[in-house]
Amino acid sequence: MSNSMNDTTRTATAPVPNNPNPIAKQDAMIEIDDVSFSYDHGQTNVLRNISFDIPAGKVTALIGPSGCGKSTLLRCLNRMNDLVDTSKVTNGQIRIMGQDINASDVDPIELRKQVGMVFQKYNPFPKSIYDNVAYGLRIQGIKNKPKLDEAVERSLRRAALWGEVKDRLGSSALGLSGGQQQRLCIARTIAVSPRIVLMDEPCSALDPIATARIEELIAELREEFTIVIVTHNMQQATRVSDRTAFFYIGELIEYDSTAKIFSNPSVKQTEEYITGRFG
Amino acid sequence: MNNSPHILRDFDTAIAALKGEVLNMAAKSRHNLERAVQALMDRNRELANSVIADDDDVDELERTIDRLGMDILVKYHPMATDLRLVVSSMKISMNLERISDHAVNIAKRSKKIMASPELNDVNLIEPLYTLADQLLRDAIASYSDGNSMLGASLHARDKELDRMDKDATAQLGSRIEDTEGRSQDYLHLIFIIRSLERVGDLASNIGEDAVYLERAKDLRHMSKSDREMPEQA
Repeated sequence: MSNSMNDTTRTATAPVPNNPNPIAKQDAMIEIDDVSFSYDHGQTNVLRNISFDIPAGKVTALIGPSGCGKSTLLRCLNRMNDLVDTSKVTNGQIRIMGQDINASDVDPIELRKQVGMVFQKYNPFPKSIYDNVAYGLRIQGIKNKPKLDEAVERSLRRAALWGEVKDRLGSSALGLSGGQQQRLCIARTIAVSPRIVLMDEPCSALDPIATARIEELIAELREEFTIVIVTHNMQQATRVSDRTAFFYIGELIEYDSTAKIFSNPSVKQTEEYITGRFG
Repeated sequence: MNNSPHILRDFDTAIAALKGEVLNMAAKSRHNLERAVQALMDRNRELANSVIADDDDVDELERTIDRLGMDILVKYHPMATDLRLVVSSMKISMNLERISDHAVNIAKRSKKIMASPELNDVNLIEPLYTLADQLLRDAIASYSDGNSMLGASLHARDKELDRMDKDATAQLGSRIEDTEGRSQDYLHLIFIIRSLERVGDLASNIGEDAVYLERAKDLRHMSKSDREMPEQA
């Protein structure tokens, strides 16, 4: 992907009711511009005219009730939805570092090297711990053993897992606890040095201790990666994210700093959702 | 304040209980203040004693409100207006407890004044009490009715009480020099006036808490211009 961000002059987004404190354009890693999305050849849009910018080097939380479109939007960011034949972006553009990711010349595989993803259910490959982390690097053609060793160790350290697995790198990843498997998946994701890490409810299957470890990890990774996290856990969103976007039935209702959203949201629907009055 | 019901009905019950206890405490504190001043005016020792005794109820209510607030924080992880309601309710209860303490101070000093013959200058207290009570009444109303404009108005209105405190204190101070043998009683009156002035400050604090609850705006230590608030839509 080209990095056209630096050579494009941009102006700040004008404040809009659902996005009263927009980030400066030059701080945006991801620009979501009037995006609509459909799973049924464009007959029904499950996302409608979504516009907001996701800042680089920050954690952005997407929240909202089930079916609001937050996970769909997350999967739009690395074109995971391409795997559904009938799906398509029906309107607007998603730009990452200035590049329209749905442009015909963008290879989704290349895109996903830049935009990694961690899923709700940890999904290590039925391989060794080492091979899981080295997997993406090998696909990229890196065969040099010392180089792989170094990358595996670095990624496991960054995922706060090295100390727990360094003596059993050859053991099956499936023998790790749930929390460890999820951190291994994070290590596998960051091993290929993406710019963006997408997380779709990464802690929903974990106990509170394992959740705390992942949250601590997110806090450490935010300096190096742009992180977008979908979570149903409001407290988690307040703890880990810098900005929060609230969605409802396919629309962006409000996007602001996390502190503002959870202490004094501007839109009544947001307030009703986060205070448990919705529905 | 968002009055829509929560999906969790127990959450509504807990919020209502918390707010109810704050209003109960407010009524008791205000009543204690009223009776303390009444005891001074009527030289009613029994009434002064009951004010002193009833302060325990107010202290207990402060503990109850803290417990209810903590329970809500632990059980429901409140956000936005709900979180502000818990925080402001706990802060308001602290201010109310202090108001009741001032009522006790007034009652205790009244009993000492009652040990000597009647003192006409006791009447100087009345206008100060009237204004302090108005401020307290409006502070409670700003919280219970979600009236942030009323809450925000208290700070400026408290200035008048400060001015009255200064004038009355100066007047009583000069009497100490003129009146032989009653200097202790005049000192008691000066401290009673000081207590009423403090009630005005505490009412103003409650008003600020009510503004925080409704508008999420922290007015503390703000300049006059920063305190100005637009009417809420």
